Amino acid sequence: MAQKLRLRLGSVDATVELMDGDAPETSRLLRTLLPLEQRARHSMENGREVYFVLDEGVDIPDENQTIYQTVGDVLMYYKPSVFVEPDWTGYANQLPVLSWVYERDTAIMGTYGPIATNVVGTIVEGLEGLQREAPRMRREGMGTMSLGLLE
Amino acid sequence: MAMTTTTKPRKLLLDLDGATATASLFEERAPRTCEAVWNILPVSGRSIHANWSGREIMLHLEGDKILRLPQEVPVHSNYIYEGDIHYFYRASSLSRGKQLAYSAQFQRELSEFAIFYGEPAGEGLSAYDPPRTPHLDGVHVVCKFAALDRPIPEAFRLKCESTRHEGLKPLTVSRLE
Repeated sequence: MAQKLRLRLGSVDATVELMDGDAPETSRLLRTLLPLEQRARHSMENGREVYFVLDEGVDIPDENQTIYQTVGDVLMYYKPSVFVEPDWTGYANQLPVLSWVYERDTAIMGTYGPIATNVVGTIVEGLEGLQREAPRMRREGMGTMSLGLLE
Repeated sequence: MAMTTTTKPRKLLLDLDGATATASLFEERAPRTCEAVWNILPVSGRSIHANWSGREIMLHLEGDKILRLPQEVPVHSNYIYEGDIHYFYRASSLSRGKQLAYSAQFQRELSEFAIFYGEPAGEGLSAYDPPRTPHLDGVHVVCKFAALDRPIPEAFRLKCESTRHEGLKPLTVSRLE
């Protein structure tokens, strides 16, 4: 039975199913990082994507990758740091992130084209709530997001 | 002795929640777009940060300020640079899925000023997606009609950046007399 996680954005809860079968190493890595809680960030370059910035030392393996992300995907990959903070940090030109896609018209892009991302999970419940909450936060300000094991 | 008259170049004043910047119109390059924009000023609204095209804030045009202009300047690539200000129009026939972060009237037809306040500008999905390339039939129009004067004030850039995290902020674009 697939491991389930609880994703909370603001006051909205959703359930994520980990892809232990297709992405076993990435799933293991993600478990070691939980629980995560920080202010959510909205993509400025990819469309309808919300993400966490992970510690710079997190080493994401190449696994279960795609450049054709879809609604409900939970992803781990390296995002160009210019899309995260305005000041380019010379020592870190990319940052590991965990993100999820909540609507169509989304594709993960770098500064030179598509980025291959690990698909580590799928949002299996609560997507509709996230589809309301993420745009609301774009208008009213980004709030807290958390991810942890579902008890 | 003959008198010569010089016309003062027309400029814009942008006020984003108290942080200001000025911009110069490209009247020789895009005269009809510049004239149309000039005629609707001042325009006020609440700006929203881009989610496809990098460091950009948008001011949606509504009511009697809405512009439906043709593609005045040929665009051969989507090359965009920090400081660019574009007139952008997307017809209701070109849907991009739900646009719940926008006011209801902009969830389909969209007419706006696109203000690129920093780098990366025009990167990400907007740079590589054919449906985001302008068309001559007016379904999707992009015209660079002005640029922020250099240096772009740091307070203005930071205020633009803060819309990513803090949400919409009031923006007025007016004539700099």
